[in-house]
Amino acid sequence: MKISKKIIDNLKKGGVDFYLSVPCKLLANMIDILEKDNDVYYSAVPREEEGMGICAGAYLGNKFPCIMMQNTGIGNSVNAIVSLLQLYQMPVVFLISYRGTPGEPVGAQGGMAKITEDILQTLRIPMLHCSSENDLEKISTFSKHAKVVESPVAILCDFNLMKDDK
Amino acid sequence: MNRFDLLNKIQNILKDNLVICNIGLPSQELYKINDQSNFFYMLGSMGLSSSIGLGLSLSQNKNVISIDGDGSVLMNMNTLATIGNRAPSNYTLLIIDNGSYGSTGDQRTFTDENTSLKDVAIGAGCKNVVECSGDETANELSKAINDQNNSYVIISKINSGNVKIDPIPLNPITIRDRFRKFIGIIKYL
Repeated sequence: MKISKKIIDNLKKGGVDFYLSVPCKLLANMIDILEKDNDVYYSAVPREEEGMGICAGAYLGNKFPCIMMQNTGIGNSVNAIVSLLQLYQMPVVFLISYRGTPGEPVGAQGGMAKITEDILQTLRIPMLHCSSENDLEKISTFSKHAKVVESPVAILCDFNLMKDDK
Repeated sequence: MNRFDLLNKIQNILKDNLVICNIGLPSQELYKINDQSNFFYMLGSMGLSSSIGLGLSLSQNKNVISIDGDGSVLMNMNTLATIGNRAPSNYTLLIIDNGSYGSTGDQRTFTDENTSLKDVAIGAGCKNVVECSGDETANELSKAINDQNNSYVIISKINSGNVKIDPIPLNPITIRDRFRKFIGIIKYL
């Protein structure tokens, strides 16, 4: 719970006040925290691409949105990222549980893990890779950066960082 | 009645509300009829008009109308479930259902065969789902906007067919900024 709390605290410190998620067991604690938090909006959504649209609308309405998802969700969302969020220069934070990184027990997750950073690189999306607790301190500044450059940004949280966050 | 006729009939209702308009011909036709800064024209991301409007309605208090199409809703049908569970009372989804992918050359959609978006919306949990003719749409849309306590999904059954039209000349940042200025978020421009 300590890691998850630190992530949410830093996102909030960075100004993020609108949260969506497509679930992942590594995000479960963060979802629990957000469901009890009355200061920010939180909802689950069925699919990441749809979440990109809801985040775009939230930005138009003066919220600073974040969508929490597995890295697989990036694959579901490429067109919405390019032809909506980037086309209209909308700041949105992607908080990504980085499935398929070392420690991952499910072999099939390895495929998307191998290409996740290449996709984000191709999309020219700034990345913050969090592999240790110390990295989490950078989340608030990195989130603010999304607003400054008017762009989606991606925070990747490694499997091993999240897995023991009981 | 086709989409252009319908947009002409409802333009007086749209003019005081925040409108998210679907990519392609719907946006181009709306722009041609009467361009306004409170119209957000989609230039990409087919399928997401309903979702963008939902996010906007959750973030501020003004009335929001998402203008979507049958082909686009079929592409992002899961958002009807989110709308059915989360839409606030300032949200109205207007699905212009002409049974056709109008912007890509009028290929038939499944609503021209077996699929009922009304039944899908009800099954997804949407309240106040109304299916109506093009002639009835202005009245139904007015009722939805004036009801301060409920969200609506209106499915307007019209004929396919398009008018000859040019792409929208506005760049995306202009569309974004003048829209946010209308809401009162930015002061410049």
